[in-house]
Amino acid sequence: MSEIVDKSLAIVGQRVPRVDAGERVTGRATYPADFTRPGMLEGAVKRSPHAHANIKRIDASKALALKGVKAVVSAAQFPDIRPNTIIPFGETGADLWVSAVIVMARGKVLWVGQPVAAVAAIDRRTAEAALDLIDVEYEVLPVAASIDAAMAPGAPVLHPEHKAKGFEPGAAVLPNVGSRTVVARGDTAISLASASRSSTISVTVDTGHQGYIEPHACVAEADPQGFVTIWTSTQGAFQTEIQTAGVLGLAQSKLKVVPLEIGGGFGGKITVHLEPLAARLSQLAGRPVRMVMSRAEMLGGGSGPPAAARIEIQVGATADGRITAIDGRYLVDTGGIPGTPTTLLMQASAACYQTETIRLEGMDVVTSKPRTEAYRGPGGIQAAFAVEQAMDELSISLDMDPLAFRRRNAAVTGSVMPIGTPFPSIGLTTILDRVASHDCWRDPIAPGTLPRGRGLALGYWRGTSMTSAAQVTLTGDGRVTVTMGTVDLSGTRTTMAQVAAEEFGLPLDDVHVVMADTKSSAYSDAAAGSRVGRTMAAAVVEACADALGQLKRRAAEKLQSPEADVAYQRGVFRARAGGSMTPAITLSELMRQTLTDGAVIGRGVSTKLPFGVEVGAHVVDVEVDPETGQVTILRYTAFQDVGRAINPAAVEGQMQGSVVQGLGWALTEAIDYDAEGRARNASLLDYRLPTALDVPPIECVIIETPVPGVPYGLRGVGEMPIVPVAAAVANAIRRAIGVRVTSMPMTPERVARALKTAAAG
Amino acid sequence: MKAIVRCEVNGEALEALADPRDTLLEMLRGPLGLTGTKEGCSNGNCGSCTVLVDGAPVCACLMLCVEAEGTRITTIEGISDGNDLHPVQAALVAHGGTQCGFCTPGIVMSAVALLAREPRPDATQIRHAIAGNLCRCTGYDKIVAAIAAATAPEAGGAP
Repeated sequence: MSEIVDKSLAIVGQRVPRVDAGERVTGRATYPADFTRPGMLEGAVKRSPHAHANIKRIDASKALALKGVKAVVSAAQFPDIRPNTIIPFGETGADLWVSAVIVMARGKVLWVGQPVAAVAAIDRRTAEAALDLIDVEYEVLPVAASIDAAMAPGAPVLHPEHKAKGFEPGAAVLPNVGSRTVVARGDTAISLASASRSSTISVTVDTGHQGYIEPHACVAEADPQGFVTIWTSTQGAFQTEIQTAGVLGLAQSKLKVVPLEIGGGFGGKITVHLEPLAARLSQLAGRPVRMVMSRAEMLGGGSGPPAAARIEIQVGATADGRITAIDGRYLVDTGGIPGTPTTLLMQASAACYQTETIRLEGMDVVTSKPRTEAYRGPGGIQAAFAVEQAMDELSISLDMDPLAFRRRNAAVTGSVMPIGTPFPSIGLTTILDRVASHDCWRDPIAPGTLPRGRGLALGYWRGTSMTSAAQVTLTGDGRVTVTMGTVDLSGTRTTMAQVAAEEFGLPLDDVHVVMADTKSSAYSDAAAGSRVGRTMAAAVVEACADALGQLKRRAAEKLQSPEADVAYQRGVFRARAGGSMTPAITLSELMRQTLTDGAVIGRGVSTKLPFGVEVGAHVVDVEVDPETGQVTILRYTAFQDVGRAINPAAVEGQMQGSVVQGLGWALTEAIDYDAEGRARNASLLDYRLPTALDVPPIECVIIETPVPGVPYGLRGVGEMPIVPVAAAVANAIRRAIGVRVTSMPMTPERVARALKTAAAG
Repeated sequence: MKAIVRCEVNGEALEALADPRDTLLEMLRGPLGLTGTKEGCSNGNCGSCTVLVDGAPVCACLMLCVEAEGTRITTIEGISDGNDLHPVQAALVAHGGTQCGFCTPGIVMSAVALLAREPRPDATQIRHAIAGNLCRCTGYDKIVAAIAAATAPEAGGAP
């Protein structure tokens, strides 16, 4: 029923305020750093000052002797986890070894900031004083702090035991390559040789950071019978439970994860960092332990940043502008542990275009830097920065309008995806037609004294489905409670209240949504991969239908009518009957009469939904000061197909937030590592996020091309709109000053240098 | 050794027992239990800990608790009257100006301070007033729109 998108909807599609906004604007929302337990201790982490070293010895005796110190842990207090210890996780599973090494170094440190020990003490100052008393003896080893350094002949091999995957037998394996993936169709070499025009571009992207404003934090409490409760800020309560239980060697029946409010995640709060440390310290101390990461720790190796990359793309076309080849090579900096996947970003980079031939080769490269973690459309930003510049350059050499060139080659429903299968429903050409008719494209650029230019870039993100569980129960007055197994990262309590209200035909206020802990809901995957809105909505729709079916049987009994003759609409069950007297009972009356006859529990599980690919186009006007290299964003318009916007205000919030976050990495954000792998700018003064003064209003154009087979036709929303941002800015800079800036972030220094190099050359 | 800090917090005169090395932020969040004020960077760069000291917006992480002696401090807990939201808070709710919510208390404090000195600010003045408050979720648009709307008569007017 809900798959018919054009039915008149009462609440889905409305702009409603977040159901939890009141507690947020009054400071009452509880994040784990705000949370306390009686007798709670404070924890702190001792981190490696070296990017590559053997740990010869750890002596904590002096720390343990300090008054007020209650427990100290290092690798010795955790079970040894071997590589390839696969745990269930999302679509592909995950290697528990990665989480274990991120939580605590074992025998060897692999990046600056990796934990080597942790302390719990009566207060934070005592805990920090104890860290200084822990004696760690290192044997310092050579460092490879960049992709180039790690792949250079003679580079130190960071994981000697690791066997690189994906190479043909006998092929030369480059040092420090984690694995190699190739996606190929046809022969790009032949197509490029015969292309009328081609363009090649090489880009580098520096390591960034997700930049969530809330630092990682948690509270763990082990009770005397061995049951551990963790209150934390996470994108996935069940994922935190699985990883933490694994790292501790604890049965999952002895661990409950309670998700508190999360102050932003953007991919960086899926892997555990503090939770197993706090739990082990609490077990040893016999008291609750709170751990809060500082900003300096987060930027200095304590959290997992998005990957640096080096990408080269060559594209070719016929004289009339038909793309014949896309050939790309992607090197992704995985940091200190191999295994950052490259396939999604490779596919994302080429997915918007139809092409005769394609060859994409990706490798993750191990470096002496923090293990990279997900960041909003992981890899998509870096990949689009390369391919969208290559496409733009090709349109210039073809002397074609960049929009017309993209329209000519845009992927359509049924055209071949990079992986070789036909595209599911995709509204890209609709988007491009909207761009063509929009003022942001038709208006001339506002005149100014400095050079100005307009850039266009496309974005794609596949999104995922994974699995979500929901449970619907009824209160004694006929109101609806939805218990969902995913956390609320982006307004999910609000959108799911809208979905349940829609399905029951009740006002929004008659629905309450609970964000469950891991012992009061069934397994759900993390809030990641642009999936929660879609997959949880499908689960809630199913759970509502299940509950309504059970209620209908009760109503039939009360109305003394065959069940088949009972219909439900907007809070009332009616029996079909002749004459004017239609027997009816309201939902609230039915619940009042039958509450104690046994519970109504609606079950909803959704998994493996049809893909809801996300596509969009961004148009940006910039001004460039050729003397200083300063880039000013003048105007920004984002177009996106969301299938259907459950809450358009929330969708705009995701789009505007994505764009501004994307502008940060595009222009100013980079972690500045020295040759020894030390972050030189581990503060928000020197790692500069955009402020309200750095960005113009972001105009959003929402397009709705529903996905068949998904309730309300929902697509993913939250990741795609960051993908094209840096590329759009780069293309605008090129149009303004005639020079390409191929290093990201495009800092004033780099823009000015690119101009100088072009003038000299 | 603890220090006694005498100050007025959210309209109530009090004596707080605090470690003299503590910042105002640590005193508020610790002994006073006012956890609505957030710690995002401890360096004065993110604005999440913005409070009003004698009416002026201040990063509580940059002020020592003993410096609060004799001052009048307003935190996010002192902005609404019970459950009656301040017009800035009501507008942030209505306009989608809060997402993850972690920066929100600081944004509210900066906006309240702005409206106290400039009852009808334009968008540029609003952006200047919150330039010290980093928000990673919203892109700032809906925050700016909310603060602008909070000054409109139908929102109850500026304070």
